Amino acid sequence: MSRTESVAFDNPRRERRADTFAMWVFIGSEAMLFGAIFLVFLVAHLDFGPAFAAASKHLSVALGAFNTAVLITSSFTMAVAHMFALHRRWRATVWALLATSALGVCFLVVKSMEYGKEIAEGMAPLLGLPFRYEGPDPVHAEFFFSLYFTMTSLHALHLIGGIAVIGGMIALWRTASPANRLHRVEAVGLYWHFVDVVWMFMFPVLYLINR
Amino acid sequence: MTSSAMTGTYLSEGAGPRAWLLTTDHKRVAWLYLVSLTAFFFLGGAMAVLMRIELATPAGDLVSDDVYNRLFSLHGIIMVWFFLVPSIPATLGNFLLPLMIGARDLAFPRLNLASWYVFIFGSLFALFSVVAGGVDTGWTFYTPLSTLYANGFVSTAAFGVFIVGFSTIMTGINFIVTVHTLRAPGLTWFRLPIFVWTLYATSLVMVLATPVLAASLILIVLERVFGIGIFNPDLGGDPLLFQHLFWFYSHPAVYIMILPGMGVVSEVLPCFSRRPLFGYKAVAMSSMAIAVFGFLVWGHHMFVSGQSAYAGVVFSFLSFCVAIPSAIKVFNWSLTLRKGEISFETPMLYGLFFLGLFTFGGLAGLFLAALAVDVHVHDTYFVIAHFHYIMVGGMVTAYMAGLHFWWPKLTGRMYSETAGRIAATVTFVGFNLTFFPQYVLGFDGMPRRYHTYPPEFQFWNVLSSAGAVVLAIGYLMPLFYLGWSLFRGARATDSPWNATGLEWQTSSPPPPHNFKSMPIVTRPAYAYDMKGLEHERFSPHLEAGR
Amino acid sequence: MSELRKLTFGYVGLLALLALTVGSSFLDLGGFNVTINLAIAAGKAILIAMLFMHLTGTLPRLAVAAAGLWLVILFGLTLIGS
Repeated sequence: MSRTESVAFDNPRRERRADTFAMWVFIGSEAMLFGAIFLVFLVAHLDFGPAFAAASKHLSVALGAFNTAVLITSSFTMAVAHMFALHRRWRATVWALLATSALGVCFLVVKSMEYGKEIAEGMAPLLGLPFRYEGPDPVHAEFFFSLYFTMTSLHALHLIGGIAVIGGMIALWRTASPANRLHRVEAVGLYWHFVDVVWMFMFPVLYLINR
Repeated sequence: MTSSAMTGTYLSEGAGPRAWLLTTDHKRVAWLYLVSLTAFFFLGGAMAVLMRIELATPAGDLVSDDVYNRLFSLHGIIMVWFFLVPSIPATLGNFLLPLMIGARDLAFPRLNLASWYVFIFGSLFALFSVVAGGVDTGWTFYTPLSTLYANGFVSTAAFGVFIVGFSTIMTGINFIVTVHTLRAPGLTWFRLPIFVWTLYATSLVMVLATPVLAASLILIVLERVFGIGIFNPDLGGDPLLFQHLFWFYSHPAVYIMILPGMGVVSEVLPCFSRRPLFGYKAVAMSSMAIAVFGFLVWGHHMFVSGQSAYAGVVFSFLSFCVAIPSAIKVFNWSLTLRKGEISFETPMLYGLFFLGLFTFGGLAGLFLAALAVDVHVHDTYFVIAHFHYIMVGGMVTAYMAGLHFWWPKLTGRMYSETAGRIAATVTFVGFNLTFFPQYVLGFDGMPRRYHTYPPEFQFWNVLSSAGAVVLAIGYLMPLFYLGWSLFRGARATDSPWNATGLEWQTSSPPPPHNFKSMPIVTRPAYAYDMKGLEHERFSPHLEAGR
Repeated sequence: MSELRKLTFGYVGLLALLALTVGSSFLDLGGFNVTINLAIAAGKAILIAMLFMHLTGTLPRLAVAAAGLWLVILFGLTLIGS
């Protein structure tokens, strides 16, 4: 009956403006979280540049670049979903959302293949696994891999969250009003693009710097 | 018009646990927070009392050193994260923000309720570590103590604090969006009550600082659980970096705690001196200045921890600068009182005590900002006295002022004025007796966080312990007379203090969606020098509706 | 649909920047590699923000500006001592 989701608003336009703003504030907050983690990496990199550069060579640039392309594509399909939602072409919206989450899953599959390879090669200093690294300064190379696993898994958790929310949104699709659908696509879209932006920084910082 | 009937209010809309636990009404969510925070306040307070009893004698006779370490760690964790940070914003702020800006609710009512559940879940998670064995790192979780050596349940406590952080961020986002998008017609930014300004500034800090705390706590948990050595010097990690990240949050967090208190006092002082707030714009802008400058000074916690001398000088200078906006506020409050018709109701007593105690604590902060003096008093009781004057003398006193000031609006009932004045005075006396001796102890060199001390410190310690008992009585009294008032108190009128502000224009307690019709604002805040403001601030439409 | 064209332009631009950043990392440019990689990452972020996230309006920009300022404070004052 009510045209707004929250009782506080008397018109849907104001509510949509508030929703968008809230998402941006949330993204600003998330940016501080990732900013702090990047800062930890930067400080370590300033201290142990050569060791980090050498360790970075053990990551697969090919898989990393492929995954970056996958995420860029998923952001594109998410933007397309939003475009369809604005035009109220709901069936097309759902397909674009499904494509987005499928690409997200693809990213995670490739990422776990990378993890598997690194663990097999003894480059995962986690849970007491043996760390076998042949190269200069193994202590600080281990530190690099600690940071690599921390940063990429934090990003992957955000991606898993995004996929779960898209799944939930599609599950509730039939019961949602057109206005609700648009709000939700918009909000999830902003979040998804932000997670993408984080990766745009993480990829060069971890895989490419000082090769 | 007085609303003596208790029907049609937010309190009469459904009783029973279901109606309360599933509510999305900001006024009821405020009560959920109020009840849970009160429990945490007395839990944390009980630990403080135990510590003070232990310190009444130089020997460590009541509790062992290990138990003492756990006591002060949990006292800090509970008081900082489960009481002080959410205290005023989540209770009074939650209740009053929509009322003060003429809105029906916060922008996201369901998010508001969710924040309470997240808070409860996170705090119980942290309390689990108490039952399971305790944490002995202090509330600061310093590495490498917390990651390599601590014997307690550091991971669960840190993870609990991490979860509570989400609740803080949810509240912050909700407040920021509400202030931007839901102000009543005519309510421009410079007509907002200062309490709203301070809540806005607080929310800004919450949203931008909490994630950095989250990052540092995640890294601790990863280090302990997965064996990753981010802060472990053996593996190339940097323990100092933890302190940077921790204080990037935790210094601004003291402004999360004190800013809303400043907002409460800015409402109370003008009301009971019947004068407009002196220098409104300066007070509003200094709140924003504190929110920004508060982020530039965290290094003053690290003067002796090995950061470079250059960084020390920069942080020392910036720390002196942050005193300026606080001083602006103190001078403006004092000038508000000048030539006022001052009356000493309970909220005003608390408000005046705040003014004195906050100034006293703030001045000690300048001592600590000076590099050389800080080396002498670092990690002594001088620091303890300084921040308790701000956090307890300032913040908790302002919280009591606000609770008494808006109690009639929250409940529709009055409390015993005599009991209130006695409690306020007992608190003031007990507080100074507890914490003033600690300045002396600290200056004489007694270090913090020890359960024994040389006998020459005993005189001041006994005074402090005696004060703690008086202070505890001062804090327990309101529990009884406010509790009594809740069921038996005299009915309150809509505006018992004859105060300005939209929250006093609706009934006490307010109806479910706050206003019977949309208020329209035509006056600045604190128009105590204008006549007949109570009704002019409302649209004629509403008057007809009544 | 001009919107679709805009999104496609953004998509192609992002892929081109990705190729550029990977390609540049195989050249030894001394200290400039880091600068180029970070500049390209910033470029990609701006493309996504403007074309995909529709970063318009005062309030969203205010949120982004605040986060940017606070990140500068975090990085600047932490690194001041090192």
